[in-house]
Amino acid sequence: MTAALSRAVMSLAGRCLGTDRQEWALAMQAEFEAAAEDGKPLAFAIGCLIAAWREMVKQGEGRLALANYALALGLLIPMAVQQFEQAVGFSMFLGAGIPARSAGQNPYLIWSQNSAAPVLLVLWLLLGIAHLCLAWVLVEGDWPRVVKFGALIGAATITLSLFTGVLMLDPSPLIAQAGELAIELSALLASARWHSQLLANGSPELLAR
Amino acid sequence: MSRNRRPSKQMLILLETLSARAQQWRHGYDLMKETGLLSGTLYPLLMRMTDQGLVEAEWREPEQLGRPARHAYRLTAAGIAFARTAPPTSPVSSTKLALA
Repeated sequence: MTAALSRAVMSLAGRCLGTDRQEWALAMQAEFEAAAEDGKPLAFAIGCLIAAWREMVKQGEGRLALANYALALGLLIPMAVQQFEQAVGFSMFLGAGIPARSAGQNPYLIWSQNSAAPVLLVLWLLLGIAHLCLAWVLVEGDWPRVVKFGALIGAATITLSLFTGVLMLDPSPLIAQAGELAIELSALLASARWHSQLLANGSPELLAR
Repeated sequence: MSRNRRPSKQMLILLETLSARAQQWRHGYDLMKETGLLSGTLYPLLMRMTDQGLVEAEWREPEQLGRPARHAYRLTAAGIAFARTAPPTSPVSSTKLALA
């Protein structure tokens, strides 16, 4: 158990060090065998992970990677959770009827709202999944896919807004999301600009990708 | 490349250990045991000192078959000169050093 955990920590340390410090990652890996023989693999591995993090903070691309992790964990994943909550809420209204903006006495409107409920549920689920995927590709630094998932989120949000307006549904969940989406978009743009600056400065790690 | 800042206690300990047998190549884990520094302190120091040209590193063939090659370190001429001008280290416990 300790050996497997230590190897996992060493592997993480190697990944955190990045390509321009890969030789150091290999050096640590080779010494890990000596530490394991000495019966102290976990302490050594944790130290290497700390060393890798310290190096990450010192380098531009490392700081960008940390910022992207913070963005993914602090904003994108909570938004995905919020959207899954909305989807769960919608699934509860499937039988009982959706809360509408107006009194909703018109039977045709009620019928339309209830008919649209599965589509709305799928759209909220799609938004949640797209946010999870966006978080993943952002930390991977896969910018073409970041753009694709960003476009998907934009399209799903617009479709959801249109459905909400046409079906006269309660818009408050979408209004609450609008501000968060604006913050998310600004953060993504800032991260993309930072990435392009590092690329323009010829960061070896980013050029190697 | 600037070495204007006063070297840290950990760096002084490492310099002293490396300069004691300046011509000899030393492995990271052996240096950890000798200096009392943890890997989280030793490796950033070695990286920085290598970047500054104080330490040189090279891959050495393993002493036993089936083992991976190991990175070994020793002071460069600049490192030896720097170690001579560095102030002597005061005895500090290894725990204090590693945590500092």
